[in-house]
Amino acid sequence: MFRGGPTHTGVYPGPGPRQFHGIKWRFPTGDRVVASPVWSEGTIYFGGDDGNIYAVEAKSGRQLWKHSTGGPAPCTPAVVDGTLYVVSYDGKLHALDARTGGVKWKFATDGERRFEAKGIHGLQPKNQTIADPFDVFLSSPVVAQGAVYFGSGDGNLYAVDTVTGALRWKFPTGDVVHASPAYADGVLFFGSWDSYFYAVDAATGKEKWRFHGGEDPMVHNQVGFQSSPAVVDGVVYTGCRDAQLYALDAATGKQKWHFDNALSWVISSPAVVDGKVYFATSDSSLYHVVEAATGKPILKQQDKSYMFSSPAVTDDVVFIGVLNGTLQARDRKSGEVLWNFETETSKKNNGWILTADRRFNEPLLYHSSWREDPIVAADRQFAIGGIFSSPLVMDGVVYFGSTDGYLYALE
Amino acid sequence: MRLATLVFLCALSSVLGEDVSGRWEGSIQIPGREFNLIVDLDRAAGGESWVGSIIIPGLGVKGSQLSDLVVKDSDVSFAIKGALASERVGQTKLKAQLNGAGELTGDFLQAGNSAPFTLRKTGPPQVELPRKSTGLGKDFAGEWKGDFELNGYPRHVTLTLVEHGPNPATAQMVIVGKRTTNAPIDLVIQENNFLTVQSQEIGITYEGRLRKETGEIAGSVMLGSLELPLVVKRTAATP
Repeated sequence: MFRGGPTHTGVYPGPGPRQFHGIKWRFPTGDRVVASPVWSEGTIYFGGDDGNIYAVEAKSGRQLWKHSTGGPAPCTPAVVDGTLYVVSYDGKLHALDARTGGVKWKFATDGERRFEAKGIHGLQPKNQTIADPFDVFLSSPVVAQGAVYFGSGDGNLYAVDTVTGALRWKFPTGDVVHASPAYADGVLFFGSWDSYFYAVDAATGKEKWRFHGGEDPMVHNQVGFQSSPAVVDGVVYTGCRDAQLYALDAATGKQKWHFDNALSWVISSPAVVDGKVYFATSDSSLYHVVEAATGKPILKQQDKSYMFSSPAVTDDVVFIGVLNGTLQARDRKSGEVLWNFETETSKKNNGWILTADRRFNEPLLYHSSWREDPIVAADRQFAIGGIFSSPLVMDGVVYFGSTDGYLYALE
Repeated sequence: MRLATLVFLCALSSVLGEDVSGRWEGSIQIPGREFNLIVDLDRAAGGESWVGSIIIPGLGVKGSQLSDLVVKDSDVSFAIKGALASERVGQTKLKAQLNGAGELTGDFLQAGNSAPFTLRKTGPPQVELPRKSTGLGKDFAGEWKGDFELNGYPRHVTLTLVEHGPNPATAQMVIVGKRTTNAPIDLVIQENNFLTVQSQEIGITYEGRLRKETGEIAGSVMLGSLELPLVVKRTAATP
């Protein structure tokens, strides 16, 4: 499952490579790969924006099967008991035989869509509804109690029976749900773009509590939970587009602490282990480690570009993707960069999307806020071979996708 | 002497053919954009003819089949089947030659434009073969009927699924609306209780799930971006 399990801690037991030895393999697809890979029994599974779900042999990078969905699939699959569950822009939850890719069943939601608003992010004309180009992920399913739980662009959180594919219940929110729900002790935790974070009983779909994040009625920039939560020791940790990292009491929804990121989104899903929370920010491009109990900063590292990717914590190395096409390995204790891997596309820097020191070349990219210009600029920004995908670390190999269309395995 | 030359040329052709087999990777530079290009070429099971597929990250091309694939001496040419093509601009074609450095160099031809490329062999071929029809269980075999609605008008569908033991199933789909369309079905796939029937020629796909308790297949007809509910029930014509 996304982030290593239903509680989304982002912890991958064992060592990660402290030194970069090379590309073990890279697997080409037809379009960008922003979703994250998962591992099960020697196979890597992931969804691609080319509409395919892939099963790739972890050892060799050889394709075992692919399944074509009816739309882009920027969704991290969940693989449980031989069945793979994944959501696609075709508005369906697909249940596939993990061994063969054969369809077991499909469940249709009321349809996918991106978060959208008039004048979003200050784009113009301001009375025109525009889809958010930074709403890049679909909700990754979580499986528990014989049900698959996932969010949808139709605003619902769904519970679907794992065997029959029948709807158990759906929980409506006020806007798009593209964060992945976390599951702990019979409760689902997830945020919506309606500015609320919810706790819902997994068996009944009844709301237990809701927490109100920030709102931004002017330009809809500082609103919405795109980050997926982690649940550890009765505390829920989640990022938010209102520039906060929140720690909420899992039982009551009461805020324990918040960490302010000065208007910078926290899309990255926090990793939580050994009393520490690891996360990163977008515009301010900061890598943070804070105390899980108090939110007090432990360390902060300035990076060069936005981070939507979520940190993967191993024994002594933390891995995270950067939108400028860099996969970083950081020392878990000091936060210092141990090594960087840069995608070929980002090194070529066609169109000078990046500055010479690998920051986004914003004046050249976003020279106009009118009509389609910012959307095209975002698309060009994404095409630099950026890493939205959250790394998976297994047996000393780091797996992640890139907008250059490849899934990478580094060792 | 003439015989010896012929033998030598045949041997050379064979060696070059073997050299062409593999995964080839490189890039194409079109004005303002660059795309990676991955081509897999291999001999078909019979040995004489060739099969291949192509991947172009960023253009949505993943494992597309190659058509008109010709490997002759050091020349390789093919078209891309079903991708980057339209009636107006025709098919995308690639023509290349194996050079002395073991590279495939050539031109990427699309919509009357041409861009040079150089590919290097990076490993054994990983050709993606087209999906093939599967066998069909007796639960599915037979005649099924149902209706879907398009633009406010009903369409009556008769779906006949024929099983051939362990061999691939075949099907007929007749759609009666203002006119009668006999969709040529090229793919019938049964996966567990899930059925997919596809006609590439008219761009229609039906997929549905068998509900044994009600004796119906409940699913949808997909026509481009349209997805229209269609439930088909067994008819008396079913043996």
